[in-house]
Amino acid sequence: MSMTDGPTPLQTAAAEQAAEDREAESKGAGKSALRQRGKRKGGYLSDRWQSLSRQQQWAFLIIVVVLAYLLPLLNPPILTTEPGNNFALACFDMARFALIAVGLNVVVGYAGLLDLGYVAFFAVGSYVAAMLTSPDSPYLHIPYLWTIPVAMAVTMFFGVILGVPTLRLRGDYLAIVTLGFGEIVRILATIIPAMKGQVGFQNVGHPPGTEPGGAPIFSNSNGVPWYWLTLTIIIVVTLLVGNLERSRVGRAWIAIREDEDAAEIMGVPTFKYKVWAFAIGAAIGGLSGALFAGQVGFVNNQKFDVTTSILFLAAVVLGGAGNKVGAILGGALVSYIPLRFTAIAEYKYLIFGIALVLIMIFRSQGLLPARQRLLAYGRTALNQVTGKGGPKPKDTDVPPTAPESRPGLQRGAEA
Amino acid sequence: MTLLELKGVSVHYGRIQALRDMSFTVNEGEVVALIGANGAGKTTTMRTISGLLHCSEGKIIFAGQDITKMKAHIRVVHGISQAPEGRGIFPGMTVMENLDMGTFGRKDRAGVAKDLERVFDLFPRLKEREKQFGGTMSGGEQQMLAIGRALMSNPKLLLLDEPSMGLAPQFIRQIFKIIKEINNQGTTVLMVEQNANQALAGAHRAFVLETGEITHSGTGRELLEDPSVKEAYLGVG
Repeated sequence: MSMTDGPTPLQTAAAEQAAEDREAESKGAGKSALRQRGKRKGGYLSDRWQSLSRQQQWAFLIIVVVLAYLLPLLNPPILTTEPGNNFALACFDMARFALIAVGLNVVVGYAGLLDLGYVAFFAVGSYVAAMLTSPDSPYLHIPYLWTIPVAMAVTMFFGVILGVPTLRLRGDYLAIVTLGFGEIVRILATIIPAMKGQVGFQNVGHPPGTEPGGAPIFSNSNGVPWYWLTLTIIIVVTLLVGNLERSRVGRAWIAIREDEDAAEIMGVPTFKYKVWAFAIGAAIGGLSGALFAGQVGFVNNQKFDVTTSILFLAAVVLGGAGNKVGAILGGALVSYIPLRFTAIAEYKYLIFGIALVLIMIFRSQGLLPARQRLLAYGRTALNQVTGKGGPKPKDTDVPPTAPESRPGLQRGAEA
Repeated sequence: MTLLELKGVSVHYGRIQALRDMSFTVNEGEVVALIGANGAGKTTTMRTISGLLHCSEGKIIFAGQDITKMKAHIRVVHGISQAPEGRGIFPGMTVMENLDMGTFGRKDRAGVAKDLERVFDLFPRLKEREKQFGGTMSGGEQQMLAIGRALMSNPKLLLLDEPSMGLAPQFIRQIFKIIKEINNQGTTVLMVEQNANQALAGAHRAFVLETGEITHSGTGRELLEDPSVKEAYLGVG
C-alpha cells in the first residue's frame, strides 16, 4: 500500500517522484535551507567525533580536561590576558560565564524559551551567598559551601515562581516578561533596605582551608583555586545536563522547541517540562552567582543589569544554542575577548554585535551546532524491526540530504 | 458503538466565535469526514477534539468518558492522536526521532516495535529515509511522517487535518488509499478536508461545515449526490 510498491505503474511513480522533488526543492529556498546549511557544516565536526573509537574519544576528553585544569598555571604566552588582567582570575571569569551559558542553554537551547532576564537568577544566587555569609548581613550565617546548594534551591524556587505564570506565554511575550523580571530583581535589590542597594555586602564567605602562611586558599586575589572549583562544577553540571538531554526530559524539551503544539499532541506535558527547564536553568544560574559572590567577596546591585543578561544570551547563541559544549565555548569566549584585548574592551558590545551578525550569516546554528541524539527506546524498536544488531556507523556519515541517496531519482532515471 | 461525541460545543477565539453549538458523533470503526470552505471551523474542530483549544460551552465525550476538561497530552494516552494541519512535524529531528516522539506517552515498550512495523508497512518511504531530517523532506513525505507519527501512539481515534493539503494529485489518491488501509486495520478516522470529492468518496459519513455550524450531514455517497453540496464544494452544478 505504498507509492513505491503499490499497483501504480512505474511511469506514474516516477512522475509522482518528480513532482515531489520539485516541491522539496522549491521549499528548500526558504529558511530551512539556511538552517540545513548550518546543520550540515556542524555535522562534519560531530561526524568526525563520532567516527573516533570510544577509547580515542575518552583519551581526547581527558587531554582537554587536563589542559583546562592546567590552563592558569601554564599561562600560555599568546593566550594570556596579562599584563592587563591577572590570568588566573580571567580563567575564573571564563569558567563562571561558561557555567552560566550551560544553564541558560537548558532554557534557550534545549527548550527554546527565550529568557532575557537570566541575570536575575545569577543575582539571586549571588545575594543568597552574600546574605548568608557576609558579616554585613544581620541574618543567619552558614558556612560558604552550604550556601551553594541553598542558592540553587532558592533560585530554582524563583525559577518556578517566574515560570508558572509566564510560561503560558510564548515567544516574544515570554521574552518581554523575563526581561521585566530581570529588572524587577535588580530594582528590588536597590529599594529593599535589607539588600543594601549600592552599599552591598562585603567579605562574602569562601570555602575553608588556609595555606601554610595562614592566608586562605580561596582568597579574592588568587583565581586558581576558584577556577578549579568552578571547572569541576562545570564538568559535573555538564554531565548531569548531558544525561538529562539524552533522557525523556531532553526529548520533550527538543520537541517543545521545535513545535510546541505538536509536542503537546504527541503526549508531552509541555507546561510541566517548560517549568522544569526554567527551574533547572535557574538553579545553574544561581550556582554561578554564588561562586561569583564568593570569589569577588562583594555583592551590590551594580552587576546585574540587562546588558549582562544579553551578554549571557550572546554567549549561548554564539556557541551554538542547544549544544552544551558550544555553550561552554561561547561563555568562555564572551568573557575572554574583552579581558584579552583590553585596548578594545570598551567596544566589546560592538564586537559581540558584529560577531553575532557574522555567526548568523555563516554559521546560523552557532560555533558548535546542536545535533541531538534523541532516540530512547525507539532505537531498540527500530533494531527489532529492521533486524539490525546495532546502529551502523557507516550510515551516519552520509549527509542526510545527499541527492544521490534519493532512491526516487534513480528510479526516475530508469523510467 | 459511539467512540467520540461532541455535544453543543462552542469555541471562541477571544470574542470571536469560531464554532457554534456543534454536535456530532463518530462511531467506532468509521471514517468520518468534515468538509467545508476556508474559515468554516474545520481546523478549530480538530484542535478542540485534540485538546489544543478549549470549548467555551458543550461537552466532548470520548469512549464513554467526559474529556472536555482533559489536557491535550492526556488525551493522547486515552487514544486520540492528531496529524496536525501543515503536517507539524519536528523539522530538526530525523524521521525515526519524529516517529519516536509519537510514543512519548506510552508505557508498553513491546507495542512500540509492532506499531513501528505497521507504520513502515504503510509507508515504506519512511523506512528508506529513517535518518533524514523531517524538515528536508518533500510535502508528501512530511504528510506520511505526520500520519505515521500519529499512529505511533496506537490511537483509537486518528484525527487528520487536511491530509491532502499541498500535495501532487497522484499523491492525494495515494494518501486516501492509505487512510482507508489504516481504517481497515481497525483505527477510527476523523478527517478534515477541502478536497471534498476524495474525502466524501472515502468516508462512511460526512458533515459539511459552514461558518462554525454543521449544515449538511449524511453518508459520504449521499453528500456526493446532494445538489447543494455539489454546487458549493464539488465544483459542479
